[in-house]
Amino acid sequence: MDWIIPAVNLKLILPEIVVCLFAILILVTDPFLSKERKIWSAHLSWIAVVIAFIANIRLWNLQEATFTNMFLVDNYATFFKFIFLAGSFLIILISMSYLKREEILHGEYFSLILFSTLGMMLLASGFDLVVIFLGLEIMSVSLYVLAGFKRSDLASNEASLKYFLMGAFATGFLLYGIVMIYGSVGSTNLGQIINHITSNDAGSNLLIWAGAGLLLVGFGFKIASVPFHMWVPDVYQGAPTPITAFISAGPKAAGFAALLRVFLFSFTTIKMDWTMIVWIMAALTMSVGNIVALAQSDIKRMLAYSSIAHAGYVLVALVAGGETGVSSALFYLLAYTFMNIGAFTVVIALGRKGQDNTKLEDYSGLGSRSPILAILMTIFLFSLAGFPPTAGFMAKFYVFGSAVKSGFTGLVIIGVLNSLISVYYYLRIVVLMFMQAPVTRTDNERIKVAFCAILVLIISTWAVLQMGIFPQSLLSLAQASVSSIF
Amino acid sequence: MLTGVSEAVYYILAAIIIGSGVMVVSMKNIFHSALFLVLCFFGVAGIYILLSAEFIAAVQVLIYVGAITILMIFAIMLTARLYSAQIKQSNEQVVPGLIIVSALLVITIFALSKTTWKLSSQAPETQTVAEIGKLLMTTYVLPFEIVSVVLLSALIGAIVIARRD
Amino acid sequence: MISSSPYLILSAVIFIIGVLGVMVRRNILVMFMSIELMLNGVNLAFVALSRQLGNLDGQVVVFLVMAVAAAEAAVGLAIIICIYRNKKSMNVDDFNLMKW
Repeated sequence: MDWIIPAVNLKLILPEIVVCLFAILILVTDPFLSKERKIWSAHLSWIAVVIAFIANIRLWNLQEATFTNMFLVDNYATFFKFIFLAGSFLIILISMSYLKREEILHGEYFSLILFSTLGMMLLASGFDLVVIFLGLEIMSVSLYVLAGFKRSDLASNEASLKYFLMGAFATGFLLYGIVMIYGSVGSTNLGQIINHITSNDAGSNLLIWAGAGLLLVGFGFKIASVPFHMWVPDVYQGAPTPITAFISAGPKAAGFAALLRVFLFSFTTIKMDWTMIVWIMAALTMSVGNIVALAQSDIKRMLAYSSIAHAGYVLVALVAGGETGVSSALFYLLAYTFMNIGAFTVVIALGRKGQDNTKLEDYSGLGSRSPILAILMTIFLFSLAGFPPTAGFMAKFYVFGSAVKSGFTGLVIIGVLNSLISVYYYLRIVVLMFMQAPVTRTDNERIKVAFCAILVLIISTWAVLQMGIFPQSLLSLAQASVSSIF
Repeated sequence: MLTGVSEAVYYILAAIIIGSGVMVVSMKNIFHSALFLVLCFFGVAGIYILLSAEFIAAVQVLIYVGAITILMIFAIMLTARLYSAQIKQSNEQVVPGLIIVSALLVITIFALSKTTWKLSSQAPETQTVAEIGKLLMTTYVLPFEIVSVVLLSALIGAIVIARRD
Repeated sequence: MISSSPYLILSAVIFIIGVLGVMVRRNILVMFMSIELMLNGVNLAFVALSRQLGNLDGQVVVFLVMAVAAAEAAVGLAIIICIYRNKKSMNVDDFNLMKW
């Protein structure tokens, strides 16, 4: 039997290897750490993310596939990996004080965060539906556990269970979609799928069409778009707050990374067939997210619905398609990562042990209790609502601009109307913070913010303002990351 | 098309699989559901042999019957009071569920029957085990490595979430 | 050369039974079993198509899917045990601390 060992370029997969090795290293060293030193696992994990980030910088402007065309490094994947690593870095920092406060500081937490990050990176780089599926699984399996990390808390258990059931259900649909595409193409490699679709008249091939539909259902669950969003509010509310922030940033972006890669780069020639469906999904996702968010009284739940709405805005970019559409989606996801993690950091800072203080009335009078936190929260909320001069404004501007350019003015009108609705519930919190007297409370102590959380707040505020006032540098980076593909 | 004996075997296995599948989702007692699930998995393994995928058939029996259902039966034993529990079996979603599912079924079968298949002229592999091993070590070496990470993270996750403090 | 159509229709039927199970049943374990049925439908389609296309890629993918299914089963059942410890119920409708 002849064995041809495929040529493997390990340099291309170096960021993934670093993340994976450190995740295992944490598992190995954690049992030897005394209870006071458990925090070293956290330090190891952010060091891993920083090293992977540096390794990733060295891959910029490279376009090369390895592992028999299953793993592709291009600027698109590299840009997404920057988003994931930045998100994970911030989440690790805010987790440290939170876990200490809740007395659930275990090394496995950070190990699972790294595994989940590894899954996202594979999703961005996967050039084969099998790799995309497996990346999705690493990411999801770790997240199911992380959502239930507060084991004694019933809400956290429930979040974990619902996330698991819905995630596994979605996996089934995704796989059935992959089967159908495998059946009509004879391979799961995206390169061969592109060849097959362009050479045959695949628009008439019903099986590819059905497969694409099922893939859309599978990814729709992961990016939390309507009508596959029912798990989002419960999972976001019940999970530990840093994990809520994590789920809303990285995994959502990772879902979009794979979705955009599969739909815009592989199914381009049958674009007209699915654009209408995504159009409807985008309109529904924006509207349902924003309208239901109006009625929420819990900030985590409100941010969950807002996160659904934001997925809708990114779907608008998917409908627009083309180079401008994808680059605006990348910019949007980057901006959303920072503003959302920033907002959640403030939410965490207000919590106490065993008492999350996530009711909206907990925010009344924050302006007098802690002016700086209130001002920062205002910046993040303004950015989420899309006010200039913040990142959220520029991101929405580019997304809607690209959609208008592609002729989807109707969808943009729906999007702008939705942004107006969203202003109400974001501003409501700002009004509560500055114009209401604090509720009389028993624990009216000063709010102490841990050093790491302050660092996260500084980084995210800087990023939100930087992208809002001088968006050009990061936007051109986003444009460079898609130009290699189109 | 299928011919002779294999056709008969196919129909018997299909009847077993569909029948036990329906029983899994409709039995009142979850322990019985689990037992029908075992039967269903065995039927699928039989179909694999019919498709001359012996390796997959063996793995099916080992993993699905030997590991997953046993794990489920353990979970049932640990959690449910077997014969006393009167569990509410279905919810108000029965009608919409049936509608969505039948629509899905029609679309799928329609798509499957309308498709012109890309046929291969190659003779079916005879040594599937060796070939699969070779593929796993060459073309599919990356997914093979990734799956080990999936298993590791699941292992850690299961321990983290199920252990007592 | 054999036609894989009957196998594919069988796989679609198993998949659909699984989908129906997840949608109408409210017992966590039965929902979980239904998800396993869905995955079996997927695997059957992979093997049938692999036979039809004359390449073994489909069988390799089935092997990987089974490994993932086992991993999911381990995590899922751990979550179920954990939740049962805190709340002695197996009915999803009882987990209405938050709205479902």
